[in-house]
Amino acid sequence: MAYDDGPGPAPAGVGALKNPFNFQTQVISTSPVKSNVGQRRGHRYKHSSISAQHQFFQEPPPRPPPVLPASLPIPTLREAWTSMHRDQRARLYWCCCHFAIALSIFLGASGSLAMTGLSHLVFFDVGSAAVCVAVDVVGNFEVLRRSSIRHPFGLQRAEVLAGFAMSIFLVFGGFDLVSHNLKHMLESLGHHAPHHPHPTSPPSQVCALAAAFSTLVSAYGLRNHSRIRRVMRVPLPLVGAAGGSNPFHVLTLLFSCVLLVLPLVVAVPPPAFVWLDRAICALIAASMFFLGVRLAVAQGLMLLMSYSSAQPSKDVAPGTGSSSVAAVLREIEADPHVARVDEAQFWQVHYGLGVANLSVRLRGGADDGVVSALRTRLARVVQNRLGEGYGRGGSLRWEVTVQMCGDGS
Amino acid sequence: MTSSYALPTTAIPQFHTHSPGHMHSHSNSNSHSPSASLSSLHAPRSRKDSRARGQAHDRRDHGHSHGDGHDHDHDHDHDHDHDHDHGHSHSRDRSGTNGNRSRKHQPPPLAPSGHWRMESTAGGTSLLTPTDPKFDVGREYQPPTASRDHAPHGPVERSKFTALVLPLTERWPLIHTILVEKDSRRIFYFMTLNLGFMMVQAFYGYVTDSLGLLSDSIHMFFDCVALAVGLFAAVASKWPPSERFPYGFGKIETLSGFANGIFLILISLEIMFEAFERIVEGRETKRLGELFVVSTMGLLVNLVGMSAFGHHHHGHDHGHSHGHSHGTLPKCNGDSHDHDHHDHGHGHDNHDHDHDHKHEKKGHSHAGHSHSHDNENMHGIYLHVLADTLGSAAVIVSTILTHFWKWAGWDPLASFLIAVLILLSALPLVKSSARRLLLTIPAGVEYTLRETLPGISGLKGVTGYAVPKFWLDDRNAGEGAPANRLRGVIHIMAARGADMDDVRDRVRNYLAEHEIDVTLQVEREGDTTCWCGVGRSGLSISHKPSKSMGML
Repeated sequence: MAYDDGPGPAPAGVGALKNPFNFQTQVISTSPVKSNVGQRRGHRYKHSSISAQHQFFQEPPPRPPPVLPASLPIPTLREAWTSMHRDQRARLYWCCCHFAIALSIFLGASGSLAMTGLSHLVFFDVGSAAVCVAVDVVGNFEVLRRSSIRHPFGLQRAEVLAGFAMSIFLVFGGFDLVSHNLKHMLESLGHHAPHHPHPTSPPSQVCALAAAFSTLVSAYGLRNHSRIRRVMRVPLPLVGAAGGSNPFHVLTLLFSCVLLVLPLVVAVPPPAFVWLDRAICALIAASMFFLGVRLAVAQGLMLLMSYSSAQPSKDVAPGTGSSSVAAVLREIEADPHVARVDEAQFWQVHYGLGVANLSVRLRGGADDGVVSALRTRLARVVQNRLGEGYGRGGSLRWEVTVQMCGDGS
Repeated sequence: MTSSYALPTTAIPQFHTHSPGHMHSHSNSNSHSPSASLSSLHAPRSRKDSRARGQAHDRRDHGHSHGDGHDHDHDHDHDHDHDHDHGHSHSRDRSGTNGNRSRKHQPPPLAPSGHWRMESTAGGTSLLTPTDPKFDVGREYQPPTASRDHAPHGPVERSKFTALVLPLTERWPLIHTILVEKDSRRIFYFMTLNLGFMMVQAFYGYVTDSLGLLSDSIHMFFDCVALAVGLFAAVASKWPPSERFPYGFGKIETLSGFANGIFLILISLEIMFEAFERIVEGRETKRLGELFVVSTMGLLVNLVGMSAFGHHHHGHDHGHSHGHSHGTLPKCNGDSHDHDHHDHGHGHDNHDHDHDHKHEKKGHSHAGHSHSHDNENMHGIYLHVLADTLGSAAVIVSTILTHFWKWAGWDPLASFLIAVLILLSALPLVKSSARRLLLTIPAGVEYTLRETLPGISGLKGVTGYAVPKFWLDDRNAGEGAPANRLRGVIHIMAARGADMDDVRDRVRNYLAEHEIDVTLQVEREGDTTCWCGVGRSGLSISHKPSKSMGML
């Protein structure tokens, strides 16, 4: 820049040469740089009389940050993997083991229909366990429970959806078994050459044992089916007495025990065994179908944004006024401050959350204290009546919103 | 922002001489600042974005337009708009009759938003007793045809046979209901055909002792069950809301579509597994002639079904361009535009690996998503019939192939390929219906909502709000209602001096202008008793409810 004639032919008097650069430290300002943030030119006397009169300096109202995040990130597989705790990872590994067991039962059935049916049941267990693990892992992230604009109730409803899909699997499995069974029967009746080799001896009992074992581990280790069970009110008096077990565990355990014990107890001749095999398969198919339909209906109702009361005895047609929702409404309308209930929407979001939207017309004028107390009371009524108690596992939390109109009567 | 502007004014001369690097950093910070402020507003979003790209410059772009800069799906955007519009008009003519009739019994609503506030009245004076919906529709059958929206479509598409049969069935309300609606009529006809064919098949199978015929009739029976479920969903979706179902049955068709999709996926997985097994074992197919005849007949029946349901599908495609020309909602336009962009980016984040597939199927899934709700059901049935048709075709082709080249693997190979096709076509259906069932708000609507919500706290007498929860309303609120109407809950905190009723009406009206119907709880400032926890922290904003949910 400054050295015009280049570095080569330097003049003799080097020391006398003027250095174009200034290597000395220069202090421009001793005081820190003052920014004039918030200082404006022009009229600068905020508190002068003219400003006060004409509101030149009206401060903008403090605007709160948005209450809800627009959308929370849904974790990718890698994020989910890194977020997993130690025991969560263990549960995942167990799930894989369970799947391997189911697969080996399925492949090892060797033509036994009953064993194939059992493997279907175990597959259902695996799927349900996988859903449990997945929900558990996604629970590490906010997106599961916290509501955002995109997912107003979090992602917990996805568990219901997954359960619904699993129940479809049950129904499908039932159909599948039935059609296999029918085909086998047709083949043997029509004396065609059979596709599958018919089992002449009972299948290995190792499979049945493995099925029972894996079901038990999943039941206690993962608390498999625990939330599904909450929506399923299958009246099984015998099973209910057994304490805390639910129909799905009972089903798998029952059939695996049958398959385990049967060859030991009775020595069946091969032709009769084929029929026994078919009968057990038909039984498994029927129970799968039955449970699947029940489960699909229960979860489908939830997905349809409805609330059906927990008590199976009060399962009545809508509008007849004897359901528990109607009882709640009667109790609300009995309140001295309430003139009438204009609008009431009760629906269940997922296994643990219900939403009640009430639109209430108040009797006479109401001051703040009364309104607040009434609101609390209504919320308590709903929660107590429909909260489904704490004794039977999880309770249902209700988010009650009461819209009040003071101009009624 | 002011600070970043203020700094250069003092600093520039000095930095200028020294090094251009500083200058650069200055300009950089300057361009950063809008993006920084935006990203603080939409913190979670920008985090997602930065995960995808990590470029501040992109982030700013995102903040401006909420587009990720994917030029290639602009045409999709347009489609999407039309979808919206079309879905709207379609749904109107579809179930407007029902809503109208139930609304006749009610006094005119106070607020514009309260079209149907009395629909789910429970207990007390104005109880809307849930009449038998089938009977209702069956008796008052005139309105649907008289509806002006439906005029170009309805009577024309009603065949002569239907016109002949329809008056005869008036005595049986159930069948009449089925026949009146286009969708359910189609399902019903096809189911009747299927059922009849199944019986004929089973009879001949029994007489001639043909295994192929018998097992195919079992298959037909399962198809009929699926059709029956679809038929039930199509009929039930017209039922009015009741105490037990406060939001009506709008979702039942989505549910049926979802179930059908899951079923198809399971079936195709099973077919794939079996095909694999058969290829490995090398089992050969027998009784080729019988198989050929059976599958040809099955193909014919299913082709009839395809033409019925496929036409339905096509009709929708046609409707897209129509809907656009007839008045659009300006709001919807912008939104859905953004929506597509964002949605695409979203898919990117999660499923990098199947980008191609997703893109290819995109139009499909979006169509299902944005249409009015009856289509997921029909889509599912269509896919089911398509799967059967392809299956029959595969059997025919493989029989021919086996006839000429003796290789046992043709049949499993063909069925494997068909299964893959079915699986791929069922996935978008499952995805879109799952999104609806999860109450996910489509990104376009979400954008409007995010614009709308902060305006609430600007209203007079409002100091804050909490727990805003909104979802798409499936009940079609009569004429003029847009397809993506929202329904929801919000808690409002009123300032100390403000009249609560006043605040309530103001917020309700404000939200109603934005097509949001809301149940609104007004609380006094400082009242901390509600579960929403609105008064607990200082600034009327509390994240306590979310935290208190805690772990299970």
